[in-house]
Amino acid sequence: MACLHRMLLAVLVVVVTASPPVFAADAAGDGDFVPRKEYDQLKSDFEAFKKEVRNSPAGPNTANAGQEQFEYLEAELQAIRHMAEMAQAGSTKFLITGYGFATYSDMEGSNSTFGAGFNPIFLWELTDRLLFEAELELELDAMSTALALEFAHASYLVNDYVTVGAGKFLTPFGVFGERLHPAWINKLPDKPLFYRSLVPHTSVGAYVRGGFPVASKMNYVVFVSNGPQVQTTTAANSGLLNFHNFSDSNNNKAVGGRVGYLPIPELEVGGSFLVAEVSPEGFAGDVTAVLFGFDISYAKEIDQIGGTVDVRTEWVWSDVEDATYDPTGAMGFGPITYDNERNGGYIQVAYRPSKNSNKVIKNLEGVFRYDFLGLPSGAPASADQQMYTCGLNYWVTPSTVLKAAFQVTDTDGADTLHAFLFQSAVGF
Amino acid sequence: MPKKIISYGMFMAAVAVLAMTVITQVGCTTPSQSAQAEGAQGDSALASGKGGAQLWAENCMRCHNIRDPKSFSDAQWQVAVHHMRVRAGLTAEEHEKIVVFLQSAN
Repeated sequence: MACLHRMLLAVLVVVVTASPPVFAADAAGDGDFVPRKEYDQLKSDFEAFKKEVRNSPAGPNTANAGQEQFEYLEAELQAIRHMAEMAQAGSTKFLITGYGFATYSDMEGSNSTFGAGFNPIFLWELTDRLLFEAELELELDAMSTALALEFAHASYLVNDYVTVGAGKFLTPFGVFGERLHPAWINKLPDKPLFYRSLVPHTSVGAYVRGGFPVASKMNYVVFVSNGPQVQTTTAANSGLLNFHNFSDSNNNKAVGGRVGYLPIPELEVGGSFLVAEVSPEGFAGDVTAVLFGFDISYAKEIDQIGGTVDVRTEWVWSDVEDATYDPTGAMGFGPITYDNERNGGYIQVAYRPSKNSNKVIKNLEGVFRYDFLGLPSGAPASADQQMYTCGLNYWVTPSTVLKAAFQVTDTDGADTLHAFLFQSAVGF
Repeated sequence: MPKKIISYGMFMAAVAVLAMTVITQVGCTTPSQSAQAEGAQGDSALASGKGGAQLWAENCMRCHNIRDPKSFSDAQWQVAVHHMRVRAGLTAEEHEKIVVFLQSAN
């Protein structure tokens, strides 16, 4: 019985110390915790063994020493149960994800330069319906590290079709900002031209969104936010919308949204809008901005072409109500008035021979993007731009990519500029 | 002004087309029609009749490469797919089926 006692204890110790924990954010895996599943199995085995021994001719009922040993084992099991319960993960689930990247750019007329960035994303699922998510953005400026809050918002799944949320969120205008801008998803090292100046990247406000089956499938989002502000202080920026003001400048909120329709799984067609009063307080007259956009995305692995094709286009029209900037000339550049309409977009095509049997070739991807930015002819220092970018990517893993691109930029009234762009990006 | 009218007109026309599509399609699919149509679901974006693996491939590759299911634990996938439901407008059925598939495949 003493030998049996020692054997049982040895089994218990080995099982408890060899079982890895199960946590939402498991990173250490140091074996100090007992998973619930294994604990239950251990307890079940022990109970069965106890029953077998009690029923045997030489069971504990026939000897006080055996009974004491079983009571001792019972106490040990209670202690292990307590340890397991203390180590159990709670109902809250937590995940750190995000991406990092390094860049090198060599643009004609500028110094070639390296760059880097790190964007951790924190996801807390507090209940099955309640999610809080936040992203920090750390990037290098010329002489310092810039830290920004990319987004931070909570969302609640009201029902199968409705999710509500509030906070700072990626603006659901088009698809590039919300879905494609992370470095490990964007197929080129830089962002489309139109996205740098015509549409907001983030908004502070609240939203209602969801997806629902309607013949095929649709998704929608409607949001209200503090809204952008028209710039008025210099000749170069007068009439441009500033999307980086995070407080409401005029007690008027912006309203926007997007509807997406998927007639077939690989094709999505979307339309977006944004309406806002953008004149700052004290500006002569109210100025309203209206933005419309559409987007089309198609991605499919096609056997006949031996790989995956990815075709996307987005276009936006921005119409800011006519206004007079620096009406008295006191700022030194006015008065300026012009028809403040802008538009821009891109078309991108990518192909990856994902069906090829060669391990290197199947991970290569060719990309081409055409960008256009049309600015109002009456605006100071504005000129239409067209950009042609050819890229070649190598996917080390599904979320790790090396990118190389050659870019040609044509600006009306200026020299054509060429650039080489390189980027490595890791999604985790 | 003519440009504005044309722009607004194009947008309203697009909204009208979309609205007509929704109005004519909502309520037209009965449960029996859904059951009969399940064999033809391969060309539809509807989740009904599709398994989690197919929904995972269709929805995720629309934006990015598909990660190995083994890259996350069960609890991590639950959080990640919840985040994707909010970001990408997944339906509830897609959300549930994709999570179950990923948790069984990791």
